[in-house]
Amino acid sequence: MDNKALEQYAEEIYTCNRSRCGFCVTDCPVYRVKGFEAYTSRGKMMIARGLLEGLVEPSTEMQGILEGCLLCGYCQARCALTNLEIFTLLRQRLAEQGLSAPEHEEKVAKIVEEGFLFDRPSPIRRDGTVPLYLGCLYQSKPVESRTIISVLERCGLDPLIVDETCCGYFAEATGFGTQFKRIQERFREAYGAQADEEILTLCPTCTVTLREKYGLNVKHAIVAVAERMDQLSPRQLELKATYHDPCHLGRMLGIFEEPRAILRALGVELVEMEHNRFFSTCCGGGGGVADTDPGLALEVAKNRVRDALQVGVENMVTVCPTCEPTLLRGASRLANEADVFVDVRGLWDLLDEALPPTE
Amino acid sequence: MDEQALGLAFDELRETLGERATRDPTHRLGYSRDWSPRHRSHVDLPDIVVAPKTTAEVVEIVKIAHRHHIPIVPFAGGTGMGGGVAAWKGGIAIETKGLNQILELDEANMMVTVQAGITIWELNETLARSGLWFPHQPESKRVCTIGASIGCDNDSTFGLRYGKILDVLSNVVMVTGEGEAVRFGRRKASFTSSGYKLLDLIVGSEGTLGVVTEATLRVFPLPETRLVRGFVCRSLEDGIRALEHMLATGLGIESAHLNCRQRLHFYTHAYREKYQREPEIPDWAEAILFLSFAGDRDVVDFTLDKATSILLEQFSAEEVREQEMVDGWWASKHSLEFIPFKQKWPDSQRQKKFGAADIGLPIGRVEEAYQRFLEIAAKWDQDILGMTVYNESPNKPTASISFALFVDDSTEQSVANFYNYVREMSAMAVEMEGTMSSYIGDGDRLGGFNELEHGASYSYMRRVKEMFDPAGVFNPGKKFESRWITKP
Repeated sequence: MDNKALEQYAEEIYTCNRSRCGFCVTDCPVYRVKGFEAYTSRGKMMIARGLLEGLVEPSTEMQGILEGCLLCGYCQARCALTNLEIFTLLRQRLAEQGLSAPEHEEKVAKIVEEGFLFDRPSPIRRDGTVPLYLGCLYQSKPVESRTIISVLERCGLDPLIVDETCCGYFAEATGFGTQFKRIQERFREAYGAQADEEILTLCPTCTVTLREKYGLNVKHAIVAVAERMDQLSPRQLELKATYHDPCHLGRMLGIFEEPRAILRALGVELVEMEHNRFFSTCCGGGGGVADTDPGLALEVAKNRVRDALQVGVENMVTVCPTCEPTLLRGASRLANEADVFVDVRGLWDLLDEALPPTE
Repeated sequence: MDEQALGLAFDELRETLGERATRDPTHRLGYSRDWSPRHRSHVDLPDIVVAPKTTAEVVEIVKIAHRHHIPIVPFAGGTGMGGGVAAWKGGIAIETKGLNQILELDEANMMVTVQAGITIWELNETLARSGLWFPHQPESKRVCTIGASIGCDNDSTFGLRYGKILDVLSNVVMVTGEGEAVRFGRRKASFTSSGYKLLDLIVGSEGTLGVVTEATLRVFPLPETRLVRGFVCRSLEDGIRALEHMLATGLGIESAHLNCRQRLHFYTHAYREKYQREPEIPDWAEAILFLSFAGDRDVVDFTLDKATSILLEQFSAEEVREQEMVDGWWASKHSLEFIPFKQKWPDSQRQKKFGAADIGLPIGRVEEAYQRFLEIAAKWDQDILGMTVYNESPNKPTASISFALFVDDSTEQSVANFYNYVREMSAMAVEMEGTMSSYIGDGDRLGGFNELEHGASYSYMRRVKEMFDPAGVFNPGKKFESRWITKP
């Protein structure tokens, strides 16, 4: 194992090291919990330099720090350097030396062998005109998937659901670059001709991966719904809520206003948290952290729920199959610890509640 | 460093702090440098890193360090430009940003008491919810803490109206070398004529007298309106005199930053690159004066009109028409709504890095110093960014000056040349009846050499240090020693 891949980023790494501007530090959701510089973006850039110069050797402690990164991109929003690429590469650098979490190894092996991240992939298939890629998380949640399909139908969309395999984000993010290539090949074989059309997606993370790593023409389904809202007559919900921007949907895909427009169309009184849109902070579910350090993921989730409480709101809405359960766990724990409860709702559920059934 | 002592100290720290004490090299690396110019591969590794959350924990850390004769280096934002947090004698780096709680907001008395590791940004986010703000705001405020501002006595964008940190600081709690947490200063009064002003000793002491863990600060109502404008002047002298005149008329100006021709060139180039238009800056412009005005709208409007008429009619200045350029400057100073490293010119720290001599001068010597700056920078083969005069004292022009460069950090020699430049600029400041440092601090640059400025009083400084820190554990290698600049 050498530093070749890392050396390509040397200029970026030294630029960060020599400046230390610190824009990435205090709002980093992991730093807020852990409290050591190494967890921040500039801290990890220092680790990168340490590896380049042989100041430090890969170690289990370093592994823990790198696996503690949510890859949420908050630091990237505050910086023009390619931080996330470098952090992913650092994980890869360690994984190639056997420094990777068994939990991640098992999941990646499962994706490689079976094509899915979770057991019991959904049997849902549907003839239709618009390809809809469910992704592993929704494959494992057939009830939620059926609800979404129903909402899409009520919006006048006709989803086509065929055999699919995992997009492989998890493998790439956790440092398994070689396996990711195999997963990509498998995906292309499985998804067939649909890959040439515009594909609707449900999971923000899959959407980013399919767009950036596969070059596919993907559109998150919530955008398609937003485009049709003015033709619908939703029931008005009496709800005061804040909207949590999922990192991949918001910061990385730039989809900020569509979910908000839908919420307003449903009559929801929207209150913004201080960290919103491009500078939203992670729910705690990113980067595979929940597998290796569930306590950290939970604390990050609790902090995000506290953000809602800070603006006097007791309902959070989001539109991501990772954010929703992660925030709900944080809210539940906070309810036990501090006797305050914030309800976390999925935007698809609100749409299901508000949209009239098809005739 | 005595390995056995370190081992014993670490065991005790671990007992006190659990996982918030570490010797792991990966963590130590995170505290190995600040923003100061040094070779790109330079590193100062502390031996241990601790992350306390309370004053009581800092007391225990200091006692342990004292018992085992191990240096303590408080680390805050890490954005210092003088090596103040460089642990070049090893020891324990204290990550202070975990001390980030607001302990009391006393709105009736317009005071806030905080743990000193809170960042200025976080403090202001919280205060804003009550319609208040804390106006001591260096450009590094996203990560710069209250404790760091006290330690470095750094600059503030709003210095012309609110001064430096000492002007808005009532007291601190500092853990001294005896391992005792002592409150220094007055409680919530704005002044005292009683006793010695020990608070003044602590401001700018760079962690060499103790670890500041709490501070009580004056806060202010958030202004209703703020306007920011730029004016090009025919000389630096004109800019200073115009400001003196504006203040003498009774105008309240929130901030005033005067930039030289090179700095003006920096802003015009950035404008040209971003907007693909040529700014209408006259050839005669030798300086650009940026001003901000804040308060109620009618007062702000009047102040701006009056200031504009003074500048235009009495000093033949011209208002900058390209407000985007002015707003760009403001973004870099206050709103911080920009993405670091995005700008392309001259190199945005991708090849070189910012570095500065931060001397303070009597206001009548600025033009002369500027000419000498050009000569000294050329002599040491330095790439000039330009000069900015900051006003850091309430309601009077003062010259806290950044003589800034792009430092080549690719070789040890080019970095050494930068410090030769700093040495020569510092000597010039003393010769001109000024000061070597007006906002960076001595850091690991000026210690020893600063005797040139302080003369006979220097020995009293040594005695002060010995009194607060008898074991010599607090941030050694600073104030009285330098590894970059030798004694005269």
